[in-house]
Amino acid sequence: MIPLDFPIIQRALIGSILAGLLTGLVGVFIIRMKLTSSSFCLSHAAFAGAALGITLSLNPLSMALIFSAIIASIIGPVADKAKLHADIIMSITFPLNMALAFIFITLAPSVSQLTGEFTTILWGSVLSMDINDIAILAIILLVTTIVFYLLWKEFFSIMFNKMMAEADGINTKFFVYLAIFIIGIVVTLSLKLVGGLLVFALLVNPASTAFQFLHELKKIVILSPLIGAATCAAGLILSLFLNWPVGACIVMISTLCFAISVFLSPKRKRG
Amino acid sequence: MSIHKEVILKIENVSTVYEGERKPAIKDINLTVNVGELIYIVGPNGAGKTTLLETINGLLPYIKGRVFVFGMDLQKNGRKIRSRIGYVPQDFMVEPDEPFTALDVVLMGLYGKLGLIAKPTNNDVDKAYRVMKLLGIEDLAKRPIGKLSGGQQQKVMIARALAKEPEILLLDEPFSNLDPKSREMVISIIKNLNDHGLTTLIVTHDIKSIIENCRRIVIMMDGRIIADASMNEAKRIFEYSTFHTHVYL
Ligand SMILES: Nc1ncnc2c1ncn2[C@@H]1O[C@H](COP(=O)(O)OP(=O)(O)OP(=O)(O)O)[C@@H](O)[C@H]1O
Ligand SMILES: [Mg+2]
Repeated sequence: MIPLDFPIIQRALIGSILAGLLTGLVGVFIIRMKLTSSSFCLSHAAFAGAALGITLSLNPLSMALIFSAIIASIIGPVADKAKLHADIIMSITFPLNMALAFIFITLAPSVSQLTGEFTTILWGSVLSMDINDIAILAIILLVTTIVFYLLWKEFFSIMFNKMMAEADGINTKFFVYLAIFIIGIVVTLSLKLVGGLLVFALLVNPASTAFQFLHELKKIVILSPLIGAATCAAGLILSLFLNWPVGACIVMISTLCFAISVFLSPKRKRG
Repeated sequence: MSIHKEVILKIENVSTVYEGERKPAIKDINLTVNVGELIYIVGPNGAGKTTLLETINGLLPYIKGRVFVFGMDLQKNGRKIRSRIGYVPQDFMVEPDEPFTALDVVLMGLYGKLGLIAKPTNNDVDKAYRVMKLLGIEDLAKRPIGKLSGGQQQKVMIARALAKEPEILLLDEPFSNLDPKSREMVISIIKNLNDHGLTTLIVTHDIKSIIENCRRIVIMMDGRIIADASMNEAKRIFEYSTFHTHVYL
């Protein structure tokens, strides 16, 4: 039986569910606004930030947040300046973030300290979640939900067609910038759960699964976070049973869900 | 319709250049439109008709001259102006799998006007339904927009522009996918709204509609306005069939 009474595991479960809700929600915006590169670009920005934090003996998570927030804020304006889609700018920024991370690592004082921190960031360690991590996740989930709820009609219109939204008098640039900024924060915070390498699956899979079943974005944006939470919780439980890495188990479950959804999808049926 | 001629749109010496291009797509355009006018804009492919419409609602920035809409400078009040202009773009097509219903799309027309944070009310939904009913597409309200036919989608985009209750209506070939009966219906709706004072600019190649309804025609060619004729002059122009075959075909 799973020892659910162990506080560590309870925290891990709550953390997984919160992160699943959060990434599932944000994933809908990532897919509809065609910002899929944001997941690897911004997770590596967080990675570079954490490396800088370790090098300067500052808190790696705060530095990761600051760094990815800065990168996330400049991507939109750079994309507009370059007249390229933000997704392309993020693909360009992604190796830059890697390069910065490597440089910061090289400058770091002690290698032994680094290894532990980086393993966490790369692969996640949900079992090391403390009450603060959970509180931060909960607050960000709340804030993100409120922001998307209040500004839903603008995002909704932009996700249908940006040019038409602009023609109706909506400030589309602002909303794209805001979305990328929120994605940066969410990606950084989910690093602790699955790590920078697997966060992609968390962001893209639940929304893609929900798209298989529903024709209305209004419903998808509710189903996707639920799928995210369920797959994260299921992945955690699987990992406890099998004693496999949590991030990997979550990705396996979430990919399996997507695969099944493709077969079950009513959108592929005729008559 | 107002008896006093009140200017709603004034374009002075405007040129618009697409990014990365050297040659302006429209050059030295001058156009004054009064409240309640119905203007047809015609000209061959590439003449600059779409560019002109998108310059008027500020989607394309102009590099020279000045544009005033509702008495406001377009460069300073773009968004406020756009929230009061209905725009039906040319050849707007939606992928089959887009997760939006026809009603969602029609309702979006109102979003710019509602302002931040405000949610559409039941009243707004009724308004959207009424416009869809007017266009005979209320049965399609709950269908995904991408699963509609080209003509049905075009009607949804017209409904979106009308639901906004615009003060200026810009239509870019709004009949291109419509069957003759639907075309008649859309024209009569537009004429009816125009009779109630809605300023309307229509880009079309549909000669029949022009001959029957035209009060003022603007002919464009190679980025310039080459003729801006009143109803009677326009009628005379169209009596020369050779002329319109030359201009349109
Ligand atoms: N995005 C763009 N970038 C560069 N040039 C463009 C762009 N769109 C249009 N043009 C050019 O601007 C000119 C005017 O184009 P516009 O689309 O306004 O023509 P139009 O009169 O609407 O034609 P049509 O009847 O085919 O719709 C053309 O020469 C075209 O090649
Ligand atoms: Mg055109």
